[in-house]
Amino acid sequence: MPTPVSVARQCLTPEAAHALDEAVGVARRRGHGQTTSLHAVSALLSLPSSTLREACARARNSAYSPRLQFKALDLCLSVSLDRVASTQLSDDPPVSNSLMAAIKRSQANQRRQPENFHLYHQIPNQSSISCVKVELQHLILSILDDPVVSRVFGEAGFRSSEIKLAMVRPLPQLLRYSRSRGPPLFLCNLSEYSDRGPAPARRSFAFPFSGFPGFCGGDENCRRIGEVMNRNKGRNPLLVGVCAYSALQSFTEATEKRKDSVLPVELSGLNVICIENDVSEFVTENSDKGSVCLRFGEVGSMLQQSLGPGLVVNFGDLKAFVSDEASGEAVSHVVDQLTKLLELHAGKVWLIGAAASYESYLKFVNKFPSIEKDWDLQLLPITSLRPPSMAESYPRSSLMDSFVPFGGFFSTPSDLKVPFSSSYRCIPRCHQCNEKCEQEVIDVSKEGFTASIADQSKSSLPSWLQMTELGTNKGLDMKTKDDGVVLGAKVTGVQKKWDNICHRLHQTQQFPEANTFPTLLGFQIVEDKKENTDNHSSHNTDASSSETNCVNVDSSTSMDVQKIATLQSGGPFTVVSKAKNESLLSKQWEKPSKGEDLESGGLNSPRSLSNSSVGDGSGTSPTSATSVTTDLGLGICSSPTSDKPKKSINKNLVELSHEFSGCLSADVDLVNGNISNRLTQSSSCSSPDYGGQFGPREFKTLFRALTQRVGWQDEAICVISQTIACCRTRSEKRHGASLRADIWFNFIGPDRFGKKKIALALAEILHGSREHFICMDLSSQDEMIYSNSIFDCQEMNGYDVKFRGKTLVDYLAGELSKKPWSVVFLENVDKADVPAQNLLSQAIRTGKLSDSHGREISINNAMFVTTSTFSKGKNLRTFGRESSNYSEERILGAKGWPMQIRIGHAFGDNTKSQNISVSDTMRKDISSPTFFNKRKLIGGNESPGQPEISDMAKRAHMTSTRHLDLNLPAEEIEVRDTDDGNSDNNSISNNSKAWLQDFFDQVDKTVVFKPFDFDALADILLKEIKKSFHKIVGSDCSLDIDSKVMDQLLSAACISDRNRVVEDWVERVLSRAFAEVPKRYSLTAHSIVKLSTFEELAPGVCLPPRIILN
Amino acid sequence: MGSTLLEALNVRVEGSGQKVLVLAHGFGTDQSVWQRILSSFTPYYRVILYDLVCAGSVNPDYFDFRRYTTLDAYVDDLLTILDTLGVDRCAYVGHSVSAMIGILASIRRPELFTKLILVGASPRFLNDRDYHGGFERGEIETVLSAMEANYAAWVSGFAPLSVGADVPDAVREFSRTLFNMRPDISLFVCRTIFNSDLRGVLGLVKAPCCIIQTAKDASVPASVATYLKDHLGGRNTIEELLTDGHLPHLSAPTLFAAKLRRALSR
Repeated sequence: MPTPVSVARQCLTPEAAHALDEAVGVARRRGHGQTTSLHAVSALLSLPSSTLREACARARNSAYSPRLQFKALDLCLSVSLDRVASTQLSDDPPVSNSLMAAIKRSQANQRRQPENFHLYHQIPNQSSISCVKVELQHLILSILDDPVVSRVFGEAGFRSSEIKLAMVRPLPQLLRYSRSRGPPLFLCNLSEYSDRGPAPARRSFAFPFSGFPGFCGGDENCRRIGEVMNRNKGRNPLLVGVCAYSALQSFTEATEKRKDSVLPVELSGLNVICIENDVSEFVTENSDKGSVCLRFGEVGSMLQQSLGPGLVVNFGDLKAFVSDEASGEAVSHVVDQLTKLLELHAGKVWLIGAAASYESYLKFVNKFPSIEKDWDLQLLPITSLRPPSMAESYPRSSLMDSFVPFGGFFSTPSDLKVPFSSSYRCIPRCHQCNEKCEQEVIDVSKEGFTASIADQSKSSLPSWLQMTELGTNKGLDMKTKDDGVVLGAKVTGVQKKWDNICHRLHQTQQFPEANTFPTLLGFQIVEDKKENTDNHSSHNTDASSSETNCVNVDSSTSMDVQKIATLQSGGPFTVVSKAKNESLLSKQWEKPSKGEDLESGGLNSPRSLSNSSVGDGSGTSPTSATSVTTDLGLGICSSPTSDKPKKSINKNLVELSHEFSGCLSADVDLVNGNISNRLTQSSSCSSPDYGGQFGPREFKTLFRALTQRVGWQDEAICVISQTIACCRTRSEKRHGASLRADIWFNFIGPDRFGKKKIALALAEILHGSREHFICMDLSSQDEMIYSNSIFDCQEMNGYDVKFRGKTLVDYLAGELSKKPWSVVFLENVDKADVPAQNLLSQAIRTGKLSDSHGREISINNAMFVTTSTFSKGKNLRTFGRESSNYSEERILGAKGWPMQIRIGHAFGDNTKSQNISVSDTMRKDISSPTFFNKRKLIGGNESPGQPEISDMAKRAHMTSTRHLDLNLPAEEIEVRDTDDGNSDNNSISNNSKAWLQDFFDQVDKTVVFKPFDFDALADILLKEIKKSFHKIVGSDCSLDIDSKVMDQLLSAACISDRNRVVEDWVERVLSRAFAEVPKRYSLTAHSIVKLSTFEELAPGVCLPPRIILN
Repeated sequence: MGSTLLEALNVRVEGSGQKVLVLAHGFGTDQSVWQRILSSFTPYYRVILYDLVCAGSVNPDYFDFRRYTTLDAYVDDLLTILDTLGVDRCAYVGHSVSAMIGILASIRRPELFTKLILVGASPRFLNDRDYHGGFERGEIETVLSAMEANYAAWVSGFAPLSVGADVPDAVREFSRTLFNMRPDISLFVCRTIFNSDLRGVLGLVKAPCCIIQTAKDASVPASVATYLKDHLGGRNTIEELLTDGHLPHLSAPTLFAAKLRRALSR
């Protein structure tokens, strides 16, 4: 029999009564016959300050986002409310039996509370139930007990027991680990756990290790000793370890005290006899043999008398037997006695002893080689000092206190989220909207759920349109995405919609602080986007590609409009085309800026502008995303045009920027204008248009820009430019339908400088700045630390710092996600290790990188350049080498030694004729002895065809001949040869060769580089130096330049971006040094001015700012 | 029993290859610590990964405070895992406490381990008369009481110290796994570790050992590596790793993987 509302109200405090009123209101709006616990829960959740909601927030499962879980709760609740039969009533729906029972339960509960006890018993005359006013908290607690309610919460992933706990405890949730098993089992009930033994309920899961022997009061060592003694062979334990002796002591103590739990059942009742003192006395002081014999006799008689399993003879610390003071004779006597004892009473006697270290045991064994067998010893490593006593080892209860900060720490993330989510999800609707919504629900449900989705949507259309217009300025458009979910569930859909409307209209003002959580907002965007893809996956194929957030935001706003359009027409979405269009658009934004950067070098470019506004758009998106896009478009297209007159740019670029601005303005139109109509149009027409721009003109520009940088590789550059132009035109390459714009190059052949320079130039030309150049040396991963030649140093600067703690994949993925438009330069791809190989294969095949966290990053907009010296068939390393004086390896290996000038004297005429020389062959004759030694050392390394290889290679060489590791004992050298290492290495290299072939086949273009003509460059430099030398010092003396100096200069010239860097250096530094020379030394015609490296100082830069004179 | 144990300790077998490689993590981490180097070895080895029972990723109820009072219980676990998987020979890489476990395991079953790679290993953390373990008894007590007092604070201080190198990623990762451990377990394991002393038994190890030691390790002084090399019974080598910190596999994975590869192939 339902109770009238007024009666129920009497039992409640005003606060609780208000909650009940709300519940009744819910039931009335839904047209339900009774007010049930479910209605109460619904009302309780939507109260402005709801304890229940807070408790839910605290008790929620951390595996899901609060938003999702609250959404689920909302859904579950409304679904179960919908199941309640509706009737027409004139009056308020009365309180159902179940709810009334809950109220009564809480009354009873409250009466039992000790603090209320007196209160209720002092007024016995009021015997009616109404005397106890139920407080809201108690009401909620008993409502949660209702099985219907806990089922609803369970469906949403909450546990009502946890919610109750959270309600009772005001602290943020503690003890979250053991939550899943009811009341927290933690330190507090640990003792009961151990005292009473495992409770039967917990037994089932408690221990997977039950197969291990039982425990012995925490003393693991004793257990192990017992185990050994129980064996048939090797049954006499010798404890080894620093703490072995104390373990031995505790064992004897335990046995003497008859703690039977210590030993296995078979051994219980064991006796221990300690002969340690007698032995050590006898052995060290060489006392009377008789006393020891007496003692052994005692032992023997004890054994005969003993009834138990036997006797353990503890001979104590082995140190007594092996110490220097011990007399050998005495020791062997004891040993003999003990051996005899064992033989006589086999099976009934055990020996036990301890040795502090394995070394002392070894000594003992050396003395008595057969002892191990005679005594049937078993070494037992003892590693734990004084097995911690129970009191000490069990965590103290004081730890409990620490959980307040601990809990506080844990809850920080949820603290952050809770206010946010609750503000959004937990107050479902404001009153006004609520009523409208209820009305609609009733309408829908009265139709018997026959209304089609389209109908529903249609009915809501006018308000929707209104909403979108208003909503664009509110900036919470993402919320409309919830609507996507709606399409499935009918009634809830309507409710959801009202939710959203309500949020838009009313609650945005109430909770403006939502905007101060940019990260959360960002998260929402992503999530919404995901929802999009889920819902419309049939249409949207390209959603996971890495358009910028700007695009996301934009497409999400437009989604509103589109959705309306599609709802009306029922046609397919145009999300894909839209998204693509956006990415094209943003690509075009990049283009003009490149142009700008190229000639101006200044950074006033619109790029930064666009970037920042993109950032705005994505980060704090609340303002209208549409307007953001418009601003962007305008900003960009105006700046190139305004900048144009100022600069004398070459014609091509002007044209380019013209084109871009034209293209952009079209796009701006598109954004501003009637979106839904133009969308499909433009996406179909703009992409061929766009592709057309990368025709011959693009090629020419690129070619010219590249040749300016790297003049000597024109063939390679030609191929590169062609490929880029080509790849840009055909947007669909080998990859089928998916649009991929990533380009893969493989640079082979010599000239490492040239390759890098070209790649760098590509980054600057195509993407605007050096920032977009990601450089990695795959071979240096192993030996990163060791390489310190100039070339390597240059790239290691900052590089290994960035790289530390990350794998190649993670580094690359991180960089690419930061700047998707990049040139990725991977050197020495042939030396890549396995993870890198996998990474590259995956990337080139799928166009995606997945980092070690499993995140996928699109490389759609990146250009990959890999370099290797390895190539198919022919070995390019030897190509053109013979004719050259300067090999690339040597230049690469050059180090930045300081330089010095010395004066030597030549005896003979040979120098006269040729007064500037680079001494490679001559220097041994001329150099001073100290230098001679050094050089000789190096000369040893210079095997004929392979002058001075870089350090890295040297190291590899050394390790392969196995002389380097001084760590290794001598015998290891042979072993290593026979060991499995070799086969391993071979298989690895074979493996990677196959991989390399495969990889090269997939690359878009392989570009062959010519070797750099170092001779020509050297000639130029020499000429320059000669000029300076003659000018300053005069032509009488001769100049001798060490070949290492030459290497350094060449290396510097190659690395530098500027022309004439060495020439400048000659002018500034060298000529100054030359000028010093005549002042310091008296030069004769026979003098030779020697410019050489000074290797006693640490290497620095390759063009030292000062030359040492002495 | 074996299979439940495998499940409880999240045993994973990855990769293909004839030889078996066991990667055992140290205190405060779990098997995810090897993630960054795993792919370098899976093509050539069957890699066995597992969590120590004290790791945060293992159900804390499996941690029996009466059983895990010494390292031997951990050794039992390891050997049970290997037996259940039918491994008869393997190379073993152990970090910190797992290095100790590996030493003990190879003493107990010498035939099982072809090679031990000990990373950040120490036979004894406390100083002694003629031994420098790096910690004084008093310091340890301070540390332990700090852990008791406020685990969160302790973790946030200990993680960067332990990682050493300035690698925020690694610090974050280590903090995460350290934090996943239930504080009482963490404390208990710490006590067990500090109570352990392997110095006397090192000579019993017959397998060749490679000691990987970083240039600066807050937990293990360089002298300890030398001590290990001198006292372990097999052929031993020390590999210097030119990076800082106690967790090179986390802070310098590529460098570490290269070293490990070299150490394994010898």
